[in-house]
Amino acid sequence: MSRNVLSAHFPSISAPAVVAAAEEDGSFKAPGTAEFYWPLIGGDNNWALTRPSVVLLISVALLGWFFITAASRLQLVPTRRQFLVEGVYGFVRNSIGRDVIGEREFRPFLPLLFTVFTMILLNNVFGIVPFVQFPTMSRVAFPIVLTLAVYVTYHVVAIRRKHGVVGYFKSLVPAGLPRWLVPIMFVLEVATYFFIRPLTLALRLFGNMLAGHLMLLVFILGGEYLLLRGGNVLLAFSGVMSFAFAIVMTFFELLVEFLQAFIFTILTALYLADAVSESH
Amino acid sequence: MALLSVVTAAEGPGWPTALPLLPQPAEMLTGIVAFGILYWLYKTKVVPRLEELYAARAAAIEGGMHKAEEAQAQAQAALEQYQAQLREARAEASRIREDAKAQGATILAELRSQAAAEASRITETAHKQIEAERQQALVSLRGEVGRISVDLASRVVGESLHDETRQKGIVDRFLAELESGDVVREKVGAPRAEDA
Amino acid sequence: MTGNIAFLGYGLAAIGPGIGIGLIFAAYINGVARQPEARGMLQTIAFTGMALTEALAILGLVFAFVFRG
Repeated sequence: MSRNVLSAHFPSISAPAVVAAAEEDGSFKAPGTAEFYWPLIGGDNNWALTRPSVVLLISVALLGWFFITAASRLQLVPTRRQFLVEGVYGFVRNSIGRDVIGEREFRPFLPLLFTVFTMILLNNVFGIVPFVQFPTMSRVAFPIVLTLAVYVTYHVVAIRRKHGVVGYFKSLVPAGLPRWLVPIMFVLEVATYFFIRPLTLALRLFGNMLAGHLMLLVFILGGEYLLLRGGNVLLAFSGVMSFAFAIVMTFFELLVEFLQAFIFTILTALYLADAVSESH
Repeated sequence: MALLSVVTAAEGPGWPTALPLLPQPAEMLTGIVAFGILYWLYKTKVVPRLEELYAARAAAIEGGMHKAEEAQAQAQAALEQYQAQLREARAEASRIREDAKAQGATILAELRSQAAAEASRITETAHKQIEAERQQALVSLRGEVGRISVDLASRVVGESLHDETRQKGIVDRFLAELESGDVVREKVGAPRAEDA
Repeated sequence: MTGNIAFLGYGLAAIGPGIGIGLIFAAYINGVARQPEARGMLQTIAFTGMALTEALAILGLVFAFVFRG
């Protein structure tokens, strides 16, 4: 389908595309992963500026503005806004950073943890914010970028802490294993550290956001189709129920969005804690 | 391989939307730039300040606790001082009471002895007075008796003996002898001791 | 109705990790209920276990997308 038409609907949700598609042959076409690709400028290719990119940049501007202005006038006795900032920061700092990485080591990683947490949280919440209504992290590129940052950080830190690459690989296998088990464990640990961890970290976030948004799309678009083109009262009523369920699911999405931001950050902290620990 | 064919096909027009796991290069780039900017902003402008705040707050809380401890110590000291003063005052009060009691007893004893002295003095004065009066009565009685006996004798003798009596002091001498026991009382008609 | 057998496979593949994650968090809740002071340590372990277990489901999702064409 032509995507250029969609460019005109920047503030609206991505629903009109599907409705338009449904109208063409009269039967309902379920929303799919195609709904998530939405170029704005530069046409339909590898280097097109997509709407999620714009949303991400807006989120960075918002976060930067919010936290820098709040941080520039901090007081010992907090104002209401500072209270919010401190709540978020204290959560990342104490509940995630300090508790997981440890009292001695957690300070250098705070910017990374805080960036990851706030970026994911705001972009996830964009999934249910009116006029944006798109979870940026459901585009796989962004989780991959975040995971890349975490991946590079924890490997670099671990190589520095464990006296070089050789020391790092040696530390992967725990001491005191039977001799025949060492190669198997080595392969398993290398697979975990170098492939499974980044893969799961990125795809967990991506998958949750994609699935959550797709579910909302299904309920809203399906409800709309049933209501407008269902034909009889019963189907129209089920369309209304579908809308109501979409609202319920929106609140559920809010929970999932927060939870995914939390899980991503706490896993980042866990991997970093693994990297800074002396023994494996 | 479908994946490979799609990736190679991606060079042409049209992004393979059927492959959601294929990151779009432009989005990757945007993501890296956005992450870099946000990380840099946080690292330079937000986290250091918030950490400073945490440190300041920890110091403030510690300082506050220190101050509170000081205040408590002060209060404790004041309380102890107050209690010491109270104890002292109580001791003072009881001491004063004891003193007063003792003083009262002393005063009472003094008064009593004074009263006794006074009483004895009064008694003595009375005794003296009585003695004096008795003496006086004795003297006047003696004069009277002398006069009466001289009168009586004059009457018996028939002439006034007063001058002679006065001259010779007979009566007085007699009375003195009588008192000193030189004159033995005798019944009328009984023989005198000198004569016997 | 159109679809792909790969996603059926993903649904089946998600059963095991689902049960596994349920067991992990059940144990975590039990542990915290018994010893609330051990919460920090248990949280770390629980999330490590969850990450490992969920890796299977996520691999299933990846393969569902990769092999559906």
